[in-house]
Amino acid sequence: MPPPEPDDLRRLGERIDEASQRGAQRAKAAPPTSLGIAFRFATEMASALLVGAGLGWGADWAFEHWAHIQTRPWGMVVLFVLGAAAGIRNVMAAAKELNAEMAKKDVEK
Amino acid sequence: MAMNPMEQFEVRPIVPLHIGPYDLSFTNQSLFMCLVVAVVTLFLTLAMSRRRLVPSRTQSMAEISYEFVANMIHSTMGEDGLVFFPFVFAIFMFVLLSNFLGLLPGAFTVTSQIAVTFALASVVILTMVITGFIKHGVRFLTLFVPKAPWYLLLLLVPIEIISFLTRPVSLSVRLFANMLAGHTLLAVFAGFVILLGAAGGVLSVISIAPMLLIVAIFALEMLVAFLQAYVFAILTCIYLNEALHLHDQH
Repeated sequence: MPPPEPDDLRRLGERIDEASQRGAQRAKAAPPTSLGIAFRFATEMASALLVGAGLGWGADWAFEHWAHIQTRPWGMVVLFVLGAAAGIRNVMAAAKELNAEMAKKDVEK
Repeated sequence: MAMNPMEQFEVRPIVPLHIGPYDLSFTNQSLFMCLVVAVVTLFLTLAMSRRRLVPSRTQSMAEISYEFVANMIHSTMGEDGLVFFPFVFAIFMFVLLSNFLGLLPGAFTVTSQIAVTFALASVVILTMVITGFIKHGVRFLTLFVPKAPWYLLLLLVPIEIISFLTRPVSLSVRLFANMLAGHTLLAVFAGFVILLGAAGGVLSVISIAPMLLIVAIFALEMLVAFLQAYVFAILTCIYLNEALHLHDQH
């Protein structure tokens, strides 16, 4: 077998680049499944509510335990509402992200 | 007979070990975590031990996983994000292999335990916070201040802080809940097959239906196993990018 020419190697490199580009496009084309999107939104919302309620409960406990001020249930009420707002903000951010992704895909098509 | 679909998630001690008030037993959970790390290490070192210019099948598998993560980091964080490559790659391979090893019959799914996923997510968020403070100092806190008039900031800053605190929770719950739901579903349908098969007569014939469904769900679970590892890794990249390039987008 003759030693490979620089030209051959270069052509091989071009072919590899081309093939890997095709692969990358295919990988990008896979859209997020509807179930995946729904799950994403649900966890964003639920975890925000949980964190808000948890923080409120903790704040009430801390005030009562260390400062001997009875704030229950107001800390939890306020922080739960703030948590809900944070959840909506998270879901909106996630939706914006998905929209941008889909728009990018449409342009590529 | 084992008919409880939740039984597969039970953590059982293999080598009991109690130090003071702490239970440090080596459990089936620890065993499978060690197994995952061992498999990843063995796979990567063996695949790259006989390097060739034209890669063999195993070598190209290792190279594809490397390039996949490198591209992910490059597209989300840019060139200077590559310092986090070992971190993101380790997390991605660990989650991916845990998900796939968990699909083997009789195996324990490490990522179906919230303790594991929450620990992973906490490490990610702590890395993000530490990076942010090292790179930007106190200015990192402007992450919590959106562009708005000052009287709205009184309301928006607490919301931003809570929203930030939900990140480790949503990151860990997403992975854990996906794995838990998928594996429970598989076990429930497997229970149907056994019950119907044992019932005899026409019912035994019907038991083929849930069996076919299991095959379909298993295929879906393979997709979910990969997808969740990918989502976990890409969210890690997005969070680290925020710490790296505070407000300017990439």
